[in-house]
Amino acid sequence: MRKYLLRRALFGLSTLLGVSLIVFVVLRILPGDPLVAMFGIEGFAKLAPADRAHIMEDLGLSDPLPVQYVRWMRDIASGSLGRSFFRGDKVSELILHRGPISAEIGLLSVLISWLIGLPIGILSAFRPNGLPDNVARTLSVLFLAIPGFWLGMLIVLAALFWFNYKAPLIVVQLWQDPWTNLQLVIGPALVLGLGQGAYIARMSRSCLLEVIHEDYVRTARAKGLKEALVVMRHALPNALLPVVTLSGILMGFVLGGSVAVEQAFGVPGLGRSLVVAVIERDTIVVQNLVLLYSVIFVFVNVAVDLSYALLDPRIRYQ
Amino acid sequence: MNDRTNDSNRSGGVDRRTFLKRAGAAGAGAVIGRHLSAPDLAAAQDATFKPDPAAKRGGTLRYGVHTAPVHFDVHQSGTVANIGAQAPMYDLLIRRDPRDGQTIIPDLAQRWEIAPDGRKYTFHLRRGVKFHDGADFTAEDVKATYEKLVNPPKGVVSPRTPLFSAVSDIVVLDPHKIEFRLKEARPKAFMLGSFASGWNIIVRKKTLDEHQGNLRQVMNYPGTGPFRHVSRKDKEVWIMERNPNYWNKGLPYVDKLEVYHMPPFSPELGSSLLTGKLDYGRLLDPVSWRKAKETPGMTAADFNQSVVQFVCMNNKKPPLGDVRVRRAMHLALDRHALVDVVKDVAPMLIGGFVYPFHEMSTPQAELISKRLGYQKDMKPAVQEAKKLMAEAGHAGGIKNLTFLVRDAATFKLWAVAIQAMLKETLNIETNLKTVQISQWFEDAAAGNFDLGISAIVSSIMDPSDYFTAWYGKDGPQNYSNWTNPGFHDLARQIERELDDNRRKTMVRQAEDILEKDPPILPISYEKINDAWHNKVRGQNPSTHFGIYDTERWDNAWLAS
Repeated sequence: MRKYLLRRALFGLSTLLGVSLIVFVVLRILPGDPLVAMFGIEGFAKLAPADRAHIMEDLGLSDPLPVQYVRWMRDIASGSLGRSFFRGDKVSELILHRGPISAEIGLLSVLISWLIGLPIGILSAFRPNGLPDNVARTLSVLFLAIPGFWLGMLIVLAALFWFNYKAPLIVVQLWQDPWTNLQLVIGPALVLGLGQGAYIARMSRSCLLEVIHEDYVRTARAKGLKEALVVMRHALPNALLPVVTLSGILMGFVLGGSVAVEQAFGVPGLGRSLVVAVIERDTIVVQNLVLLYSVIFVFVNVAVDLSYALLDPRIRYQ
Repeated sequence: MNDRTNDSNRSGGVDRRTFLKRAGAAGAGAVIGRHLSAPDLAAAQDATFKPDPAAKRGGTLRYGVHTAPVHFDVHQSGTVANIGAQAPMYDLLIRRDPRDGQTIIPDLAQRWEIAPDGRKYTFHLRRGVKFHDGADFTAEDVKATYEKLVNPPKGVVSPRTPLFSAVSDIVVLDPHKIEFRLKEARPKAFMLGSFASGWNIIVRKKTLDEHQGNLRQVMNYPGTGPFRHVSRKDKEVWIMERNPNYWNKGLPYVDKLEVYHMPPFSPELGSSLLTGKLDYGRLLDPVSWRKAKETPGMTAADFNQSVVQFVCMNNKKPPLGDVRVRRAMHLALDRHALVDVVKDVAPMLIGGFVYPFHEMSTPQAELISKRLGYQKDMKPAVQEAKKLMAEAGHAGGIKNLTFLVRDAATFKLWAVAIQAMLKETLNIETNLKTVQISQWFEDAAAGNFDLGISAIVSSIMDPSDYFTAWYGKDGPQNYSNWTNPGFHDLARQIERELDDNRRKTMVRQAEDILEKDPPILPISYEKINDAWHNKVRGQNPSTHFGIYDTERWDNAWLAS
């Protein structure tokens, strides 16, 4: 087990190193000038070439790329992650301030996806081709097809025009005011959760359809067990493995989707910070946030792998 | 201009008539001073903005405006992101009256004198003014501030330097008297407008010295303004509190000002205002603005802004160097349709080469009724355009022009419409290339385009500012690389002409040159949509020219 963990950790680290290199290089070769965001249209137009060069030097963007990369790695090692090169704010502080909101959205959306997807999947599997199954399948296809940011905008507009409601404007942490915090995160979590729930429903349905025709399920039924027990004790645990794997993969979609959905809801999370940083060409913020998302993705995948052993005792790590 | 309130019981608010009476009393000195023929008389002796005894005090004003600033140095900025959030903490030497947004009144300078030859501006500064850190305000602070603006140190960018290009010396005569000496005289309206520009906030000499003039990463530097910094959450909110030691006793009225950073023209800003999470919203999208206008208990106003939306034509690339081709394209644009195309995205006003709402330009009504290219009936303009194309040898049209488009909703909508207009009327075929804003400026500066669509702003409304920047030879925003020696000579004369009437005549002549030899294709001029809940009193921007000079909030109060 220890060997397995070490190997996965090394794989994870090499993946992250690769991601950091790609992000770093891409951000520096992409066209676009951060000085436009910094000085505005008018200010940028009036910048003399010497001023531009001086400011780029000040920002550390004139240094050779290896020097810039090593500086970033040093900032990561020190825990500060560097500073936004415009305002000078620490990126670590930004993550500490906004990260909890995005984390809540991610976790809540996974919870919602299971709460919605699993019962629908079970219902569909045990009453295949009936009315509930057809309705569930239609809905799941619908939620798979609808982009999260569009659904988010509809929800925002509906809340506004029907209930004259708008979510809070600034970050309020769970421990500061749980009710206000819930208003901030519930919208994006619901939208992301519905999308994932559709995947979970389809996957759990197909897995259960396979499992319920197995001999041990038939035996359980023949023993006279109640249907609920047959499902919960015998069928479901054996059908869950692919669903858990899917959830891990979907976490990546949640991270990616949260960028657009946070923007649609106007929620001040990390996804929104990433969008603004991209627009501003705040390279330091962008590279750190992308790397953070990669760290989370790698971590979730390792956690999913480890959870297999809990779900299926036959699995052993070597 | 358009403003309207749905609150019939509104008391204490300033309607247009009341405003005119008050402005007449308070601003009389300034107005008279500006129009006196003897320029050495002091202007605006007693026109300082005075507190309204009827105004209520206290409360928190929640204001939504623009995204967060990317740095904190107002002097180096060119966006309302800085002005909107930071201006309430600072004062200017002189300012625009917040009641009309136009009349120039005293601020930190209690009064001023202009030498008869127009080459010396002497400002008498207020005594007893203190910065937020307790330091005394003196002429040395004004000198340090303006030295930075006029002669920025290395690594510091001052977009307003051209406004003060005539300033040769800034001399402190005593701790409360400072003199600006000019190499050559400039029109009074131009110079005073430059001093009253909202960007030129007065900062402590010590602060500037400590940071070598660069305040880009200094978040909280002391000002003398009506509000002082409390806290800031990046990209969320900037919170300020009333400055209890403000020199203008009785101001500001509200105890706390919360400035929320929200993208302009965004549904997010609109919905925050409409649901009451904000008291006042600036730069609203037209849909939210119209909704606010219809909502009982809310007021909506629109006003002009110093931004032109335009298409530039790369004069270095044939056939766009041909004046006939440029003029033909200018005539082929149906500007009424173009304004209509974006009516749900951003509010616009048809105009030519000079701000259509400026006293020196051809009045907009005349432009639309008489001038080719601006009329609703496009037939005469299109006929003329086709004739010009034939004369230029392009009767069959032009193919494969690269049309550089900034990635923003208005530009993308316009680009498609203009592409269709040019194809249908003149058989000019363009290929759209949509890029991010920063890339647009890189491509434009490098000349990697035939046509380009974007927007540019000027620091002040006076034509001398943008005649140099937008149309001047090697002007920083002359993206078309356009030159016209006749125009450049005339622009230089306009810059130096001190008589307003003669200047106006010359500006009209300049307009004629620009119409015949277009440096750009002006599409429209941006308008600003504001709306607020009626509990916000004392603030109505209907008559303001632009937003940069009037962000202070010392005049606003809350009725409940």
